[in-house]
Amino acid sequence: MAVPTFDAIVVGSGITGGWAAKELCERGLRTLVLEAGRPIDPARDYVEHVPPWEMKFRGLGDRKALERDQFIQRHCYACNEYSGKFFVNDRDNPYTFDPAKPFHWIRGRQVGGRSIMWGRQVYRWSDLDFEANARDGLGVDWPIRYADLAPWYDFVEQFIGISGEALGLPQLPDGKFLPPMALNCAETVVKEAIAKRFGGERVLTIGRCAVLSVAHGGRAACHYCGPCERGCITHSYFNSIGVTLPAARATGRLTLRPYSVVHSVMYDEKRDRAAGVRVVDAQTREPLEFRARVIFLCASTLESTRILLNSKSPRFPNGLANSSGELGRNLMDHVMGGGAGGIIPGMEDRTVHGRRPNGVYVPRFRNVTTAHSDFLRGYGFQGGASQAGWRRVDSLPGFGRALKEALGTPGPWRFGFYGFGECLPRPTNFVELDPNTVDAWGIPALRIHCEWSDNERKLLHDMSVTAAEMLEAAGAREVEPFVEQNPPGLTIHEMGTARMGRDPKTSVLNAHNQTHDVKNLFVTDGACMASSACQNPSITYMALTARAAAYAVDAMKRREL
Amino acid sequence: MNRRELLGVLAAAVAGSAPGRLSADGLLARGRTAHRRARGRALQVFDPHQAETVAAMAEMIIPATDTPGARAAQVPEFIDLLVAESASDEERASFLRGLGDVDTRSRDAFGVEFVAASEAQRVAILAGLDAEVQALRQAGEKAEEHFFQRLKWLTVYGYCTSEIGATAGLRYETLPGSYDGCAEVRASRAAPGDF
Repeated sequence: MAVPTFDAIVVGSGITGGWAAKELCERGLRTLVLEAGRPIDPARDYVEHVPPWEMKFRGLGDRKALERDQFIQRHCYACNEYSGKFFVNDRDNPYTFDPAKPFHWIRGRQVGGRSIMWGRQVYRWSDLDFEANARDGLGVDWPIRYADLAPWYDFVEQFIGISGEALGLPQLPDGKFLPPMALNCAETVVKEAIAKRFGGERVLTIGRCAVLSVAHGGRAACHYCGPCERGCITHSYFNSIGVTLPAARATGRLTLRPYSVVHSVMYDEKRDRAAGVRVVDAQTREPLEFRARVIFLCASTLESTRILLNSKSPRFPNGLANSSGELGRNLMDHVMGGGAGGIIPGMEDRTVHGRRPNGVYVPRFRNVTTAHSDFLRGYGFQGGASQAGWRRVDSLPGFGRALKEALGTPGPWRFGFYGFGECLPRPTNFVELDPNTVDAWGIPALRIHCEWSDNERKLLHDMSVTAAEMLEAAGAREVEPFVEQNPPGLTIHEMGTARMGRDPKTSVLNAHNQTHDVKNLFVTDGACMASSACQNPSITYMALTARAAAYAVDAMKRREL
Repeated sequence: MNRRELLGVLAAAVAGSAPGRLSADGLLARGRTAHRRARGRALQVFDPHQAETVAAMAEMIIPATDTPGARAAQVPEFIDLLVAESASDEERASFLRGLGDVDTRSRDAFGVEFVAASEAQRVAILAGLDAEVQALRQAGEKAEEHFFQRLKWLTVYGYCTSEIGATAGLRYETLPGSYDGCAEVRASRAAPGDF
């Protein structure tokens, strides 16, 4: 039987796979999207409006099943009784690490990937970030600058819809924003206090998020039911199922194949090109092959790198497109969990109505205009204010009628700042294939070597200090600074391992996410990142993907590919 | 957005998705039957006496007033489910020991088991247990592992996430439809962050 042949193959159907599919299809290519997991039917699988009493464990989850099947995934807040089905089974999807250096790899295998349960926060990078490696002499310099990506940020944001407030800050460029969501009373108090005390150096704003504040592109505005990670029947937040994949499908050029676990990329040594991909059918275990003129790996940072490491040939014995030896190296994740909490007094007669799927943001203010003596780079804060209602009541003294009445009354306004900091690129944080472990489909698993350095630990400590300063400026009571010890991976901003760069000797990808070694092979997910900045990275992956797809199609038209 | 407009949007959204042929109300009802097995199931761990002791204590923590209490919300059945299927063997044994200890306290003080004690006697026992929890808190020690704190947490959680507790007791809204970050407090409405 002839091997099925397409113009393009996209591996993965999540945040970047959906964008690659849309752009390649709309630019005329017959495109095959291979997704390792099952199809998702929103009408059947989304559960955002199922009330707690319909769930067997009322949302607490089946603890024994989680401990048996999702012993890694359960560390993610969104892997709960409702949304746990969007996270992988850890027994089927093993990876290994030194127990003294844990890495929590949080994964989603289904059509839509992790775009179903992502955090939806959207922050552009600036030249402070793209120039960081060159300035500090760490890693390799980015082969692009903000000006290269700015039009693609515009393009992506206008299509998916981002709500947010323009601030005019050079370190956090404004985007194409829909109206911002509202702050609550206590957040307004803290915002004003920060403005007064820190005179523009520190700024609090509503989160910039991929949730529609008004109808946009045929999708309805958010109805504030709250738990986006369970899906959204009105497609009011961005995921690939509701936004990019339908656009790709509308061209008539999309073929989406679920249950397709990619084993490796085939390399044609004579023509020096990627020829296609080898696939294991997830249901039948049948080995399959698909061919195409151009291949986009959008399988997620570590899955794309794993596929390349497993694509061995005489020319590339250590993994496809790895002549530099950099494939697998420089793994990063944002360091999270320094911050502070406190009570904002007053406003007892006020509460919120609706469950806003968004918090506040304090853009990076360290090492922006003046150099800090203790650490490189910086961090931003997410967080917000809320009042506990019945969830605080078990901690109140007493029982009976008075306790019951407290269930329906809001408690004090509690405010929390939670920091996300930049992780430096280091070759000692790396992944390789584990020679002794395979997954449920017989594909070699990764062994992950990753740990924080002093710079990340210093960022965490500084977060706890500056967060407490801001709360104290706002007159907060019971201010408690904290420093959590979270393993890398858990922030789910893992990136790097196939970095972009100018020099083929020291980087895997060029300025267009094209591998230096194999011209018709592109990697556009988080694997491409040469540094991590401190902003949530998904919008940057989307912009890079759209840009790379346009470049690839243009190059094909010029017969360069 | 009011509820009527919101349901219209939801209906349109479902009609627009290829496999969706459910009405908006059908959508809201979706899943209502899927987990019914969680309710009305036979007790797995508690014997009738233990179940009645848990029910009596839970009802004292969240009594029926102008709205139903813990017993009507089937809180004892929820606690039995968690003790049976969620607790570790050690946690289950510890919970049952704590439950037995309530009878020991009652017999020592009043000569009868807890469920046979008078209302005033039961209040005295619960007040004593609650005071122990508060003393642990004040001393900065772990109150969460105290039997009465576990029972109180389970009762509050089980009541507030039950259909009766959430809707009759707290006016839980599945679909708020809009966001107001500085609304006036109205009596007996669940704080949004709790669901």
